[in-house]
Amino acid sequence: MRLIRYSYPAFRNASPSLGNFRYSPWAGLESEIDRLFQATLSGVDAATSSSRFPIDLFEDKTNTYVRAELPGVNRDDIKVEVVDGYLTISAVRKAASVAASAGQTADATPPEASAFSRAVSIAEDTVAEKVSATYENGVLTVTLPKREEAKPKKVAVAIT
Amino acid sequence: MSLLTSFIPSLVRTPAPTAENQPADLAHAVKPVYEIKETPDAFGVTVFLPGVAKQGLEITAEESQIRVVGRRDWTQPEAWTALHRESVTGPFELVLAHDNVVDAEKVAAELRDGVLRISLPKHEAAKPRKIVVG
Repeated sequence: MRLIRYSYPAFRNASPSLGNFRYSPWAGLESEIDRLFQATLSGVDAATSSSRFPIDLFEDKTNTYVRAELPGVNRDDIKVEVVDGYLTISAVRKAASVAASAGQTADATPPEASAFSRAVSIAEDTVAEKVSATYENGVLTVTLPKREEAKPKKVAVAIT
Repeated sequence: MSLLTSFIPSLVRTPAPTAENQPADLAHAVKPVYEIKETPDAFGVTVFLPGVAKQGLEITAEESQIRVVGRRDWTQPEAWTALHRESVTGPFELVLAHDNVVDAEKVAAELRDGVLRISLPKHEAAKPRKIVVG
């Protein structure tokens, strides 16, 4: 990716000139093709630029963890809810937008003031009241504690 | 040789970066989502680096390029089992070529909540100038 705007290749490079072997006659064509591929493929890995942000699920003995990548969102604009066995994470990014000025180069444009929402179905043994969340370095971690295993009940029956 | 390379340019091209000719931990680096805006005085770059803290961030201003490397602060604890993964744990790497229009001395950067904002002021010589016709 170049910061300077694209300039049309020099005529000498674009057309094969047989007298000059210092440069490859195809050098112009080659860089053109490279540029086209770069422009096309630059958005491929832009997972966070869509409204679907990446989520990871982890588990250990006592908790289930949901980690969501939400860079540049204020803590107040993140909403985490547990409803009917689903954990819903919704967020609004109110970025001071930059894409407006004309003629600028933006390759993979992060959306401006965009809203995201995702729901994850959670295990039945989750204690919904004790769900907690932290936000650090643009990553939200939600901790979902598991209910303590129903302990085997011992009932002493009195014999009369 | 020059005749040969003129027909097969790939013989003299520098190979694309592979695992062998890159630093070990950057072999699997991903390109972060980023955005560039331009004003008459400067370029502003916004880079999304979720999970990268200040100590894992490295910005290098070289001759004609700016290089941003972000290593994630968080590693998965041993006891955690991954049930579902969508994000990657590898570092971020972004290289921006600028042909020396940027004044490397005055580059300023700010990292907040996983978003890096870099301001790249242009060299005085690169700024547009008004020429008064006498």
